[in-house]
Amino acid sequence: MERNFIKEHGSSRPVWPKCLLLLFFMVLLLFVNLYAGSVPVPLKEVLRILCSDAEGSMAADIVLKIRFPRALSALFLGGALALSGYLLQTFFHNPIAGPFVLGISSGAKLCVAIVMIASARFLFPLHSLTLIIAAFCGALIAMGFVLLLSARVNRMSLLIVAGIMIGYICSAVTDFAVTFAEDAQIVNLHNWTRGSFSGMNWENVRTIVLSTVSCLAGILLLAKPISAYQMGEEYAQSLGVNVRRLRVLLILLSSLLAAVVSAFAGPVSFVGIAVPHLVKRLLKTARPLVLIPACFLGGGIFCLGCDVLARCLFAPTELSISTVTAVFGAPVVLVVMLRRQKERL
Amino acid sequence: MTEGAFFMGRGLSVGYQGRAIVEGMDFYAERGDLLVLMGPNGAGKSTVLKAVAGHLPLLGGELLLDGADMGALPMAERARKVSALFPGRLRTEHLNCREMVEMGRYPYTGYFGILGEADHEAVAEAMALTDVEELAGRDFMQLSDGQRQRVLLARALSQAPELLVLDEPTAFLDIRYQLEFLALLRKLCRERRMTAVLSVHEAELAWRAADRLLCIKDGKAAAFGTPEEVVRDGLLQRLFDIQPQRLEMAGQPALMEYAQALGKRK
Repeated sequence: MERNFIKEHGSSRPVWPKCLLLLFFMVLLLFVNLYAGSVPVPLKEVLRILCSDAEGSMAADIVLKIRFPRALSALFLGGALALSGYLLQTFFHNPIAGPFVLGISSGAKLCVAIVMIASARFLFPLHSLTLIIAAFCGALIAMGFVLLLSARVNRMSLLIVAGIMIGYICSAVTDFAVTFAEDAQIVNLHNWTRGSFSGMNWENVRTIVLSTVSCLAGILLLAKPISAYQMGEEYAQSLGVNVRRLRVLLILLSSLLAAVVSAFAGPVSFVGIAVPHLVKRLLKTARPLVLIPACFLGGGIFCLGCDVLARCLFAPTELSISTVTAVFGAPVVLVVMLRRQKERL
Repeated sequence: MTEGAFFMGRGLSVGYQGRAIVEGMDFYAERGDLLVLMGPNGAGKSTVLKAVAGHLPLLGGELLLDGADMGALPMAERARKVSALFPGRLRTEHLNCREMVEMGRYPYTGYFGILGEADHEAVAEAMALTDVEELAGRDFMQLSDGQRQRVLLARALSQAPELLVLDEPTAFLDIRYQLEFLALLRKLCRERRMTAVLSVHEAELAWRAADRLLCIKDGKAAAFGTPEEVVRDGLLQRLFDIQPQRLEMAGQPALMEYAQALGKRK
């Protein structure tokens, strides 16, 4: 009855088929990630390893200890990035905002680098939670600068330029710190400062899944006020939204998501900006209740796809993940900007 | 008469950051009335409306709605009583008109904002009243200014307010749509016993539409009363340099006829 009502009045366009399609792609790409790599493991073998819990063989080790954790972290960290971008775009009412262009990822990277170097020098053990906290502090500091600047500039493009400058400053300081780090650490750190999903273990995966999924749940709880916030802050207020509280929550959650990614994978560019646009374009809806999980899923798919390319395109040489995400993400940003320009004329 | 009016401002002062722009206003409106603010650009009409809509804290005085202090109403309750329609170009993405109107149900829906049967009915009714049903599936960004304004009015109506605040709702419209919009608004206010507070830039139009006029000039309420009173006292003419004949000629309540006449002439 209600469904008929909705259909007649042209409301809620069906998005479920497309969401299922996204889910299907996710599963498919997960398998591709387990299957593809420099050491050939036949598909049958992959399935057997997954089903029978077989351990011991080299193939099983590669699939279960290297590829599977890596694929899962690409999936969840990609989701976190896309969601962080979605929140920032909502917050700034700016279609080309994202954790990377606003310098938030770089701020997180800086703090993580400092903590890593300190741990190498003073030989204290590094827990993944320590890294997340460090990244979160860095992300919040960078975010603080962005917010300070956003109060002074009212042009969207200027905000982005300011964010990119903050990113460069943070990267420069990071490079400076890396230059003076212990020799043995440099290689490790250098790989990480370029961004990569490599070297994940199950312990990392557990932390990643827990932190990103709890952020996702928290954001889903904010779906209703976010939908009002999209209509403008004053209007949201007149609908009874506590706008100030919502803004603080948006900042904290988007920074936390970006921080988790920076702590484990380093900076990954363009996922945060590009994926929300791709997802919106696919689903043709503005409803946050649909877009929030869809962005998470879309980000995961995007990173799974990019990571498999990064690993396999020039195997055994591995590309940095940002190299691949930029190739696919940057054109999306350009298209979005050009379309905005055309609309304004 | 003034005591116990449905909507009242007493000694109201409004402004930004503690600096008053308009001070010491007294006004009131009954249920079903259109209270129209008029005054030159920059006189502070928008500031008054922002204060009424709750976007700005009051600097002095009080606003009463149905005998209750509006400032003391909890946000959620206020949202069910007062809805606002402010100018400013909205940028939406993939939002059709029906979804836009559905936003008005925000104060009535549950935690995730999913609409129930009653909400769908309220939305359908609001869309029927403003005659935007055939736009339901259209993207909001692709509408003309006149259509957009009607959809936004539908959104405000679906919120089922007792007080509707509109800042320059006719600003982007050409004269025929301005009249149609105001006529529609007046009809809706009468039918739903809803009070509207709005600003209209053009003095003649303001005068035609209003049940009560509040003229703001030089930081104070220069005049308040029914349009007849304001004209009879010669206030309007003095304040805004309008030729009195033009006002007397048409007869104030003839807004709808005037709109129709204009429509035919086109």
